[in-house]
Amino acid sequence: MFRKIYSANEFVTFIIILLISIFIGLINPAFFSIASIFDVLRSSIVYIILALGLLPVMIVGGIDISFVAIGALSAYSTHMLLINNGYEGGVFLYYIIACSIGIIASFLNSILTTKFNLNIFNVSLALYIMWFGFVRFFVGSKRSATFPEGASNFYSKFLLTVKDPFVGNSNLHISILFVVIIGLVLMLILRYTTFGRGIYAIGGDRDVALRTGFKVNRILTGSFIIMGGLAAFAGITHSFLIRLFDPTMFLGDELDVIAAVVLGGASINGGRGSVIGTFMGVIVIQLIHRSIILIGIPVTWQDFIVGFILIIFISIPYLKTIIKEKLVDKKVAHEETK
Amino acid sequence: MEKEILRVENISKSFGGVKALENINLNIKEGEILCLVGENGSGKSTLIKIISGVYTADQGDIYINNHLYKKIKPIESIKQGIQVIYQDFSLFPNLSVAENLAINKQISSGKNIVNWKEFRQIAQRGLEDINVSLNLDAEVGSLSTADRQLIAISKAVMAEAKLIIMDEPTTALTQQEISSLFRIIFELKKQNISILFVSHKLNEITEIADRTIIFRNGRKVMDKNAKELSIESMEFHMTGRKLMSRNLQSSKDLSNVSPLLTVEKLTLGGKFNDISFDLKPGEVLGITGLLGSGRNELALSLYGVLPADSGSVRINCSDVNIRTIQEAKKLHIGYVPKDRIRDGIFLAQSIENNISANSIDRLINKFHLIDKQKKETLADKWINDFSIKTPSRKLAAFSLSGGNQQRVVLAKSLANEPILLILNSPTVGVDVGSKDEILNLIRDLANDGMGIILISDDIPEIIRTCDRIILMQNGKVKNIFLKEEINQEKLNNAMVGKY
Repeated sequence: MFRKIYSANEFVTFIIILLISIFIGLINPAFFSIASIFDVLRSSIVYIILALGLLPVMIVGGIDISFVAIGALSAYSTHMLLINNGYEGGVFLYYIIACSIGIIASFLNSILTTKFNLNIFNVSLALYIMWFGFVRFFVGSKRSATFPEGASNFYSKFLLTVKDPFVGNSNLHISILFVVIIGLVLMLILRYTTFGRGIYAIGGDRDVALRTGFKVNRILTGSFIIMGGLAAFAGITHSFLIRLFDPTMFLGDELDVIAAVVLGGASINGGRGSVIGTFMGVIVIQLIHRSIILIGIPVTWQDFIVGFILIIFISIPYLKTIIKEKLVDKKVAHEETK
Repeated sequence: MEKEILRVENISKSFGGVKALENINLNIKEGEILCLVGENGSGKSTLIKIISGVYTADQGDIYINNHLYKKIKPIESIKQGIQVIYQDFSLFPNLSVAENLAINKQISSGKNIVNWKEFRQIAQRGLEDINVSLNLDAEVGSLSTADRQLIAISKAVMAEAKLIIMDEPTTALTQQEISSLFRIIFELKKQNISILFVSHKLNEITEIADRTIIFRNGRKVMDKNAKELSIESMEFHMTGRKLMSRNLQSSKDLSNVSPLLTVEKLTLGGKFNDISFDLKPGEVLGITGLLGSGRNELALSLYGVLPADSGSVRINCSDVNIRTIQEAKKLHIGYVPKDRIRDGIFLAQSIENNISANSIDRLINKFHLIDKQKKETLADKWINDFSIKTPSRKLAAFSLSGGNQQRVVLAKSLANEPILLILNSPTVGVDVGSKDEILNLIRDLANDGMGIILISDDIPEIIRTCDRIILMQNGKVKNIFLKEEINQEKLNNAMVGKY
């Protein structure tokens, strides 16, 4: 059991989090506080939802970048629709409509990749550009900070408030609960349903999955539905947290999300990845983004550091084989001396 | 009379006017091990695909458990208990042993929820049924070929197979793994499961077959109890000609010739250790040993792929230091890789490009551009010399049969005019006819003065072809045998350590 935990990629990610935290904390002890934990969590919420949505598609073996565009399209269109019709209610309807739009939009990904048998990335590249264009041309290009009355307080609905001696009150937003629920449900789906195992099976070997009798096209469609739905969910949550609906929200964030999923142990070639890992992958990236300033490194270095850690992380399989070979060499040398 | 599991009558199948199968009749009895033998393209795989429902026969009947099927669908074939184990095993490399074993049942039962405890129980029982124990939590991709094959067999048995068809099951296995596979096949026989064992390794067939059927050019040319068959007569029926199974060793006395290659104390950490030998021009030196004995690494080291850490290599009495493939090529060392498809050939490229790939440096004109004329002449020469069967040198290499692809790989190495040629398992996966030609070619090359290192674990082939044989074990030279002092049995015993 211990071996299994130790050899998993998630364990490495956990160690990375630990090392970064200790490093930052040693230089600036102020980092070890509830406030900074809340800060990192708060900034991770939206990215975790996006990353969890992308996870099934990555396990299946595809890389998609269109999800950020679907998120922006769904969230912004929903907002414009409701505002223009004088909606004054709460956030619930926002989530319902946006997720529906996200799911419908994701059907385009699934039709093109299953019926026309096109490559997942190629399709997503086209749709990424298309949806961002669509939303600005057909829906609107102006940012909107007007909110319906019932939803305007949502940004300050906190789950926890902790008094901190240095920075005053720090709060944890209620949407962290959504993250926990989404994570748990997705974990159960991936681990305990035939659909979920099919996602891994297709990532392992698509032809074998077909021959085994998995309904491959349905499983792909299901993965895209999760992606579209969660992207829309993230879009709404993001806009309420920053109190701004922006038609170009998430533009350029797709690579950070992919990086997080990879840092969480998912393989670019498919077949691997987990909810816990993805969760930690996002934390690593947000930790760097939020805390680097605490230790006096200029903010402009953020992306460099994220990239550097990513290089180390993806080299781990290679480093492992080198270490293994060295160990074998030692063993051989040892046996020879005997 | 024993019960018949499968009978096919008058099966014929053509592809685009070419007859792949003609009036095939055969039957398999309950608990029988039937071997199906034939050269590449003799129609073995077509028959498997017809029985398993992938292809539909043009004419003929299939009886399974005495029930007539004019056409059979894959799903029906499986329901009737026919399971095919293909060479890729149809497993998920990223999933655990337990999940791979249990997943079929999960899908066929139509359940949506996974019960992991049940998965483990199903898997455990499945492995116990064939007397195998494996770590259920291990990831299948991390297992050896032999273990993955066991899982595939176990899956077939769990699917209540009455007939298991194995397509070339021993190709990637070591000698020991083959023996344990045979033990399992005998175990299945005891459980009254029939086996259709498709292969062209004749020595294995004599070991396990109850009955042997031989195909040649789409026809059944022989169907006999195994005991009545010798390897020679099987070869004759397969190829339609008498193969010269004469020994191919050198008749010349090479003892006074100065060596072409001298290797002294060559060492590569963890791979091989303190290797010394020499090779004379005109000599075929065999190197054999179990997997992990370091024979592959030694070959790659001499070709500059895995440069050695220490030791010396001399060619024609002058010291050389081979650190890269380019240097090896400049010294006119040729290498024919083990995995033809992966390392030896550009499948999508033309035959011409493949043949000239190794010697492109010599095919340039005064502007240092590739001289088309020279390239074409070179390709035509080798296509002609090696009688590579193709309508045009412009066709892609994947249009060729396995034996012809192997000839292209050889031509590619030889086009660079090597003085030392290293061949790594050159006859794996080619049929006996082509194999015979390749071995004869090796001898001809040696007779013309080339020094040849033949790496192989095909013991009869090594005994037949080599003038000296080096046996490697755990990265060291265990023995060097002269051709006079070795026979198959002795080498076999030495290899597995019963010496």
